[in-house]
Parts: sequence; structure tokens; C-alpha cells
Amino acid sequence: MIDVQDLVVSYGTATALEHVTLTVAEGEMVALLGPNGAGKSTLAGALAGLLEPASGTVRVRGRLALIPEGRQLFPDLSVADNLALGGWRSGRRDPALVYDLLPRLAELAGRKAGVLSGGEQQMVAFGRAMMSEPDALVVDELSLGLAPNVTADLAAHLAELNRSRGLTVLLIEQNARLAFDLCDRAYVLESGRLVTEGPCAELAGDPRVASAYLGGAIS
Amino acid sequence: MIGRIAVAVVAVVTLALPALLDDSALAVYILLGLAAMVTVGVSLLMGYAGQVSLGQGAFYGIGAYTAALLALGGVPPLAGLVAAPVVAAVSALVIGTPLLRLRGHHLAFATLAVQLILLSVAGQLEFTGGDIGLQGIPQFGVGSWEAGGAAAYAYLTWGGLALVMLVTRNVITSRPGRALRALATSETAAASSGIPVGRYKLVVFALSAAFAGLAGGIYCFYTGYVAPGSFPVLISIQYIVMAVVGGLGTIWGAVVGAAAITLLVQGLDGLATLPGMPSYAPTVLSYAVYALVLIGMVLFMPQGLVPALTRRRRRLNTRA
Amino acid sequence: MSAFLTYLLNGLAVGCAIALIASGLVVIHRVTGVVNFAQGTFAVVAGLCVSSLLGLGIPHGVSELAAVTVAAFAGLLAGVAAIGRRGTTPLSSLIVTLGVGVLAYAVEIVLWGDQPRSAPGLAGSVTLAGARVQTQHLLVIGVTAATFVLLALFFGRTYLGKALTACASNPYAARVVGIDVRRMGLLAFALGGLLGGLAGVLVTPLRPISFDTDVTLIVNGFAAAVFGALTRPVVTLAGALLLGVAETMAAGYGYGSHQLEVALGLMIVVMIVQASRRSTLSQEVT
Repeated sequence: MIDVQDLVVSYGTATALEHVTLTVAEGEMVALLGPNGAGKSTLAGALAGLLEPASGTVRVRGRLALIPEGRQLFPDLSVADNLALGGWRSGRRDPALVYDLLPRLAELAGRKAGVLSGGEQQMVAFGRAMMSEPDALVVDELSLGLAPNVTADLAAHLAELNRSRGLTVLLIEQNARLAFDLCDRAYVLESGRLVTEGPCAELAGDPRVASAYLGGAIS
Repeated sequence: MIGRIAVAVVAVVTLALPALLDDSALAVYILLGLAAMVTVGVSLLMGYAGQVSLGQGAFYGIGAYTAALLALGGVPPLAGLVAAPVVAAVSALVIGTPLLRLRGHHLAFATLAVQLILLSVAGQLEFTGGDIGLQGIPQFGVGSWEAGGAAAYAYLTWGGLALVMLVTRNVITSRPGRALRALATSETAAASSGIPVGRYKLVVFALSAAFAGLAGGIYCFYTGYVAPGSFPVLISIQYIVMAVVGGLGTIWGAVVGAAAITLLVQGLDGLATLPGMPSYAPTVLSYAVYALVLIGMVLFMPQGLVPALTRRRRRLNTRA
Repeated sequence: MSAFLTYLLNGLAVGCAIALIASGLVVIHRVTGVVNFAQGTFAVVAGLCVSSLLGLGIPHGVSELAAVTVAAFAGLLAGVAAIGRRGTTPLSSLIVTLGVGVLAYAVEIVLWGDQPRSAPGLAGSVTLAGARVQTQHLLVIGVTAATFVLLALFFGRTYLGKALTACASNPYAARVVGIDVRRMGLLAFALGGLLGGLAGVLVTPLRPISFDTDVTLIVNGFAAAVFGALTRPVVTLAGALLLGVAETMAAGYGYGSHQLEVALGLMIVVMIVQASRRSTLSQEVT
């Protein structure tokens, strides 16, 4: 469960998030849409405890893991070491569990993370987050810069984890199509404020959302 | 208006002091002025070019040796004193051309290395008198007039300091000076806006060396001898402490910083030489003061004393 | 020829001591981005400690171990000052470590006075291929080699070592997975103190150490670390050995008075070459 109440985050004098209230129920998968600079990554940072809120609260039941924007791997370390460090919080050192989930990572285990393709790096970032045995997962821009089939593959894994293990997921996306495919509910963040929220089916029908994020109405 | 009055008061007090102080107090007064002169340059370098020099003592030494060698060679003292900053600045140009490609800690260590090399060389060469150094340097004088006592050197020192401050002020308020301000915050931004970063940095480096050289020149006439031991690495660190204390990139900050540290060390010196104190007390106390003041200021008041005080005054004014 | 071999081995021993100091600099710089000016201080503290402890009749081994522990603790304290406060820039931290070094002067003079002190090391000498070498020199080489192997194992094989490398590789990502980057920085400082301390206890029997020996030590250590751009331990080791041998050869063949200039000049040239290479690279990128 992720529960954000009246959250304000600022950088110096500039306010990045203004009174954001948002909840993701246990086992739910919710999307957060918004254009560049809306404050999505700031929210991700605040959820992961990397940024100190100016006011408001962030509550998470259990452990939260973040797949940060731009993967943020340890480029000089091997894939296996990247995964092992993902278990810093959980104390899990052996990536076998992640290899079961994502067998491709077992093949890449000895390679340096910095030399992998974007899709492979995103897979490592995904696996690294899973190493902490999270109850909730925040994914910041899963699809950014990836080929559609790679994104679909990762999205399928995410949906499977959500279904089979009840993993709570907040999917921060610019790709609304992907978000609406995966989630039942979504929030829309613009200039640091939540402008609208609701079931994805309704939002997809909202002409403003459709024109801004879907390039026209969904047929 | 308040600023003008303050400057006038400071000027009057500065001029009156040498007549009122005894010789030992005058010695402190002179060393304070010399330290302030070097610190103005260090502050300019750190505050405007964003660079740390751990070797400013080298230029102080170059100035001192230049004036001493010329004076001992029979050159009129005034010519020697003029040559001191010139030679220091030229050395800085020569050294700085390759060295200023370096930044941050690289430049800090490179300047430290330069000072260590110069000290080692001066300690070995015959014409610089080796480790013993140069002695019997004649008194400063112009024509038939000769600086008799400490008071004359005090006026010379504080006159020199006024000159240094005036030059610095003109540099800061000039158009290139404002461009330099940008240099301290972001070199890349300054470069992309068309400022010749390299040349400006070199000029500031040479200018700060000239100030140190002038101070060194006066120092050698005042003490009558120079030796490598007069310019230890610690003296360069001391200038950084003074610059940081006063506030980087502020002219008055350099003077206030030099005064604060010199007087603090002197005061503790008085305490440390009281009967019953161990013989190492003065050294230990001065090291401890440099260290604690430096660490404390960098961590808790990085903008320095003078900017912190002016800001507080401004805040009080707006409230009233 | 045997003189050459003697100088070479002596030079390697000197280089090893430099390498230990330099590796401390590299460890701290990699993890925290700070160049620790107080790195030579740790060696001085350990050297002075070991001279006192041995003087009190505490046996070899225990004395050295205690002295190195004190140095590691000094490293931790230096770290608290340099990076303990949030938002201290690396250059500010360098100035703080400068202050730590000067503060150490005050403490050292109170505890040990300002005269150089020595300590007994391994006595005697051995003859290798016709060259006489002090046993202590061989000890320095042996301990340094073992230390570098252990360091490589620590950073390459252990979880904690990898976490330290992770902080160097991508501090933001380290925070994402939950690593406390500042605490890792303090650990790096303590490790730097330990390595400096090791250099101190090894060197003190060879050349007496006093409170202000730190400047020579840090400058040599920095010169060696510069070879490896302050990040690469193996190149740093090579640089340190080169410096040690070059200085010892210069001294052995009668240019002893210029060895410092040679080392420092070399350091400046290496830095300038590296800087100009970097700027050509960045010009190509833009």
C-alpha cells in the first residue's frame, strides 16, 4: 500500500510538488501520467525516501523499491553484482530468484552493466528492484527509449508479478497507452499538481487526456 | 554614505596607529598589513577565479628574494621594491600558463608543489644563500631618505595595502571583473558566453602573485633577512584561512580576515607565553586556531564574516 | 651492479610506502570525490604511536596493530569533519582536510613534541644476488604486496567492497538500493586512515618521522595517485613504485638533493598532460 497525503516537495525556493494526495491499495496497479517536468520523478524520489518532503506524509506498507528513470545501474559492476546490491535492504545476496523470473539475466550475469543494451539494462534495473523483495514497486518510465517489443515483455512480467504475488505497483509513464493497458486506475500530474484521476476507461474517454497523452481518442 | 564614513574612519585610524603603537605592537601591525595584502590576492583568486592556491607563499618568497638580491647588489631599494611584484607576476605568468589548465584539487597540489620546489631550490643555490638565506639587507629608502624605524615600515605597508585594495576594486568593478564573477560560479557557462576564461584566470593569478610579491618586498626590507624558512607551506595555508574567514571575493573581507586571525593568534600567544605554560604552547595554540577556525568557517559560515555581517545589517535595515 | 640492485630494492620499498598512502587517497576519492589532504597525517600519527608503544616495551605486532587502529580512527574523524555535514562540496572538503592536518600538528606536538622520532623495525639485512638489503625493506615490500592483494579481494569479492565500489560508480543508484552513501564515505575514510597508518608503521623504522613529515608524504602519495587519475589503484601502485625507484636512484647516484624536485616536477607534468588530454576529449564530444 502506498499512501501519499498532501505532499509538498521543493528544491530551494522552487516548488516541485504541490499538495499531492494519492493512494495505491494493496495489490493494486495504478498509473501516474504526466508530461516532462510535471514532477513525476520528484514524486518517485520522495516515495523512495531520496527526497525530504517540505510537508505532507508518505506512508508505505512494507518495503518499497524504485526502478528509477534512466535505469541508474552501476555501470562498472557486473550484472550479478548489480543484482546482489539490489538486495542491500532485504539481505538477499543470491540472484537465483531473479534468474528464475528473468532467465536472460542469468546469461548476462558476468557482463558489465554499462555495456548492455537499453532493454537489457532495464531488465537489470527490474531484477535489481525485485532483489529487495518489495511489497510495493515504483517504476519510473519503464518504456522510455525502449523498443515496443522489449517494453511489452517487461510489462508482461510486471503484470504477472502484480497478479501472482499481489505486488503493489505505481507505474509512472509518459506512454499512456501502455499505462492504460496495464492499470485500472490512473492519476494525471501537471506542473506539480494532480489535475485529474479515475478509472483508465474513463480517462481514456476524457477528450483532454486523450488529446494530450494519446494523440487523439482511442478507437 | 555610511560606507564612505566608515572608510574615512578606517583611514584615519590606520594613519594614526603607527604613532601610538610601541615597537612590538608595530611589528604585529606591519605583519598584519602584509598578510592582508597577500590575502586580498588569495581572496580574489578563490572568489573570482574559483581556484585554490596552496602555494601563495611562493610568490611572497619570490618578491622577498627579488628585492633582497637587488638591494644587496646595490640597486636602489625603491627599484627593488618595484621589481618585487613585477618579478612575482612574471613568474606567475610563466608558471600559470601550463598550471592553470588544472582545476580544483589538481591546481591546489600543483601550486603546493611549486612552493616546495622553490623552497628546495632556494635552499640549495649559492646566490640565494642556501638554507641560511640572505642577511644584511639594507634599510628601505628613497633618495637620501631612509626608513629608520618600524613606523616608517608601517606606513609603507599600509600604503601598499591601500594600493592593492584600490587596484582590486578597480579590477572587480571593471567589465572584465563582472565577467570574472561568472567564472567563479561556472567556468563552462562563462566560456560559452564568450569570456576568454583562460586569459582572465591567468591575469587574476598574476595579479594575486604581484600582491604577494609586493608584500614580500616590504617584508625583506623590514626584517633585513630572508631565508627559505621564512616561507613555509603553512604560511600559504594561513592566507587561505584568512581569506575564508573574511569571505572569499570581498576586498574588506580579506583585511578583516587577516586582522581577525593575526590578532587572535597574537592574543593567544600572549596567553601561551605566560609563566607555567609549556614551551610548545604558542606553536600548538596557533596551529589549533588556524585549524579550528578554518574547519568551522568552511562548514558553518562558508560565505565568510564580512558577507554574513552585511547581510544581517541589510536584513535589520529592511525590518526597520 | 649490486649497488644498482640495492638501490632498486630500496626504491621499491620507498615506492611501496608511497603506494599505501596513495591507495588511501584513491579509496577515499573514489567513494567520496574528496582529495584528502590529511592522508599523510595518518602515517605520521601511526608512526609516532608505534614509536611510543614500542618505547613502553609493548611487543612488536601489538604495537603496530594498535598504531594502525589509531590511524584508522583518525581517518574516521577526518571523514566526519570532511563529509559529515550535508552539502559540503569536494573542494570545501579538501580545505577541511587541510584544517584537519593542521589540527593534527597541534595534537602531535602536545603528545610527542616537535623532534623526529624513530622506531626499531626488523634488524639485520640479507644478501640477494650479491646486493645487501635491509630486512625492513623486504618487510615493507611484502606487507604492501599482501595489502594490495587483500584490497583487490575486498573490493572485488566482498559484498561490502562492492557496495563501496557502487558508491563510486553511481552514488544516486547506491541511494536507490538503500546504501547510506555518507556512511560508506566514512568507511572509506577509515580505510584510508588504516592504509596511511600501515605506511607510517612500516616507514618509521627506515626514516624518522616528525609532525610535519606529512607534507612530503601527501605530496608523494598524491603524485603517485595522479598517475592513476586518482581512481585506478593498479596504475597508482605502478606510479608509486616508479616514483620510489626514481627518487632512490637519484639519491643513490648523487643527485639526492634534487629528488623532491624530480618527483614534484613529474607530478605536475603528468597532471598537465592528463588535463590537456581531457580537454581535447571534451572538445571532441561537444
